[in-house]
Amino acid sequence: MKLIRAEFKNFRLLRDLRLDFSTDSEKKLTVIRAENDTGKTTILNALQWTFYGNAALPGKGKGYRLHPIDWDMSKGSKIPISVQVDFEKETFQLSRNGNSGETTSRYRIIRETTLGGTKPTSEVKLFKITDIGAEPIDPPDAWIRNELLRFELREVFFTDGDRALSFIEAESLTDKREQVEKAIRSLLGIEAIEAALKHLKGTTSKLNKDAKNVDSDKTDLTEVATELEQLDKEIQDLEKKRDDAKLQFDELTRKLPEIDKDIEAALLKGNREDLERELKQTASELKRIEELEANIEKAHSQLFRNLSLSRDLLTPLLAKSFRELDALQAEGKLPSVTIPSLEERLMGSTCICGESLDEHSNDGKRRREHIRHLIEESRKADELQRRLTDLYYRLDLKPNKVNANEHWVAEYAEISNRRDGTERQRKALEARCRALEVKLEDMGDIDIQELHSHKKQCIERQTHFNNILRECEVNLQVLQEKHRSLTATLNNLMTKQKKGKHILARLNVARDVEQVLRNSCDRITDEELDKVSTLMNAIFLEMIGADPEQGAIIQKAEISKEFDILVYGPNNASLNPDKELNGASRRALTLAFILALTKVSEVKAPNIIDTPLGMMDSYVRRSVLKTTIRESSQLILFLTRAEITGCEDILDTEAGRVITLTNSAHYPKILVNKPPVEAHQTLRCECNHRQECDLCKRRIDVVAETALDS
Amino acid sequence: MVHQDSNPFVNMQLIAPSTQRDAYNVYCQTAERTTPNQSPFPRKVDLWFTGLSLAARKDLKPVDLKKQETVDIISGAIFNTDGWQAQAIMLVAIAIDGNLEIVLEPRRMMDIANGLAAAGVPYVVEMLREGNQPPIWNLSDALDDLLHSESSTEGFLVEKLSEALGVS
Repeated sequence: MKLIRAEFKNFRLLRDLRLDFSTDSEKKLTVIRAENDTGKTTILNALQWTFYGNAALPGKGKGYRLHPIDWDMSKGSKIPISVQVDFEKETFQLSRNGNSGETTSRYRIIRETTLGGTKPTSEVKLFKITDIGAEPIDPPDAWIRNELLRFELREVFFTDGDRALSFIEAESLTDKREQVEKAIRSLLGIEAIEAALKHLKGTTSKLNKDAKNVDSDKTDLTEVATELEQLDKEIQDLEKKRDDAKLQFDELTRKLPEIDKDIEAALLKGNREDLERELKQTASELKRIEELEANIEKAHSQLFRNLSLSRDLLTPLLAKSFRELDALQAEGKLPSVTIPSLEERLMGSTCICGESLDEHSNDGKRRREHIRHLIEESRKADELQRRLTDLYYRLDLKPNKVNANEHWVAEYAEISNRRDGTERQRKALEARCRALEVKLEDMGDIDIQELHSHKKQCIERQTHFNNILRECEVNLQVLQEKHRSLTATLNNLMTKQKKGKHILARLNVARDVEQVLRNSCDRITDEELDKVSTLMNAIFLEMIGADPEQGAIIQKAEISKEFDILVYGPNNASLNPDKELNGASRRALTLAFILALTKVSEVKAPNIIDTPLGMMDSYVRRSVLKTTIRESSQLILFLTRAEITGCEDILDTEAGRVITLTNSAHYPKILVNKPPVEAHQTLRCECNHRQECDLCKRRIDVVAETALDS
Repeated sequence: MVHQDSNPFVNMQLIAPSTQRDAYNVYCQTAERTTPNQSPFPRKVDLWFTGLSLAARKDLKPVDLKKQETVDIISGAIFNTDGWQAQAIMLVAIAIDGNLEIVLEPRRMMDIANGLAAAGVPYVVEMLREGNQPPIWNLSDALDDLLHSESSTEGFLVEKLSEALGVS
């Protein structure tokens, strides 16, 4: 199928627009240059609406406005809306002489509706255009579904750059898988074969029922046929149960590593409970250090009250005074004996000068006598002597009697070190507290226990479904064996009479066809899926410029038997396409999947893609464009000027047709010249990707726009 | 308890020029002012005594407080708590007056002490203020520098040398 032309009337912004598409097989690219808010998505929706009606519109058409937003109601209360599309389609035909060949026919589809009438339903008309005129095709919907494109495939061919990402970006794995599976099954014809299989099973069941009505050996035959009928139903039920269990099991199998990753990530951030405990301990330690710091600060303050500071400052003066006192003492004018320390000496065995005061030695006795004498003398001392004596024995004020560690500088050094130490500790603890608080805040509501609990539940459910799966498979084996045995019995019984033979023959045909279909289905699933997967990988790697042999980060992409699109990095490490690929790679992967699927299925239909090159750098953009052109049978691209930048030369050689669309409502903010219409609508000009005219001339140049986009 | 014999200043007042009132209020801890970093001196007498010691160290002449307006700092009874301060004042008085008998004249000794404190407190205040740190650190570092430099060079060594040579 190739689109030739489309004409839109009053479909939202498309009040009166005609688009012509390139059908040249050498230049199969049509470029519609249009900026945001110019009607690109509207065109995509309008085309789908034409073929599939309201069901193809966003929200199935509910709440989707079809008419122009600024429709002038004075023109009449009814709004006629229509889209007409001309297209051609190749048909494989056998001629009368037995030769086969493809013939191309031309068709026209028109969908129209009138809003403001009694019922806003649309009407579709389809014609085959021949040399002698237009030949209506009725009913058009069935023809479109069976001969053209199935409804489910519209997103493969009518591709919105963002929406198509649902193949790899859907909410859940199941959704993604369903999207991919549905597209693959539809395009490869698996769905059709499965529908035929289902139909055949119904036929087989009916034939088994018929067998019950055969006259001869009625009892046995009826019993066996009834049992077979029952068995068919049981097998079907069991197969459904097995498939459901498998789906659940697979989903959980894929989910578990994700939970492990979440747990790992959460653990890297730390366990909330542990962090809270650590924060509490750190805060408590911080409080202790702050108290200690306050105490040391007080001790520092005490340095200005202590004797050491004044004594050290006064050293020169004190030394002078003590020299005076020393002289007096030397002259014996200072009776020093009255001080308690000397009296205490008499109680001991050593004098203050270190000499012995032993009573048993002559020297000791002599010295003791001298001390007693001095004590006697002291009693006669006058007030002056008493005061000077007190001063003389004030040893703690005597500079040369002080140990090094008793000096103020030593005390200050010690306090200073302690203060520095506690300050360092406090700062470290404060930093630790802040870090823990940030970590806790950053953790949000992640609860590792809850994740573990979730994982446990998943494992339990996985085991549960695995048990069901195994049980179903065992039971199925038993039932299938029983089915084979009963079938043989039924065959024997039926061969015994005429009617039975006839039914048996039909049953055998049905079973043979069923086997053929099953084999086809398996072959398509295995071989064709493999082809799609291989081609998708080749296209994808080419698009992003990744060469596995050159050590590229992305090594391979594939579609699994479970219809998951998987991406691998170095050492076969699995990458989550949803989270671990950048925006450009995700778009490239989606396009690669769509192109590979259409190529392998050999369905010839146009790929109509809205803004496919967004978020891509120049290299990837060019590469994606070239590959997409090569792999499409007809390619219609809606591109913004920013997407076109750097790709002009490719469009020069590859584009069969380029037109530019402009929104009249963009004047005067974006457009330079006033458009020739008053209403808001999409206008077309023939400017190609390098040109501009009075209609499409914009205030901002492409370079500025590129800079903005980047 | 220390009686008048060991504290001859018990009935006298420690005084300061009224211009220094603010320094005592700002740099001495009180019930309201409790941050040692900002108010390093636990009591007013400690600033007074540091001023006295610094003035003596710097060989400043005692200020004649009779010629100016003064404020009472605290009673001399404060020396009952730390007896060494009273005796240190007496030793300073001996050194400055050169007459041992001055120890029998508490009033004269107190005049010398108050005069020295008044001479030294401005230097203490300067030390408290000079620097980018809280006052306690500014003062500590300044005193540390002073004691380090002087004790390691002239003062302490000269003292030791004099002792060794028996020179007074």
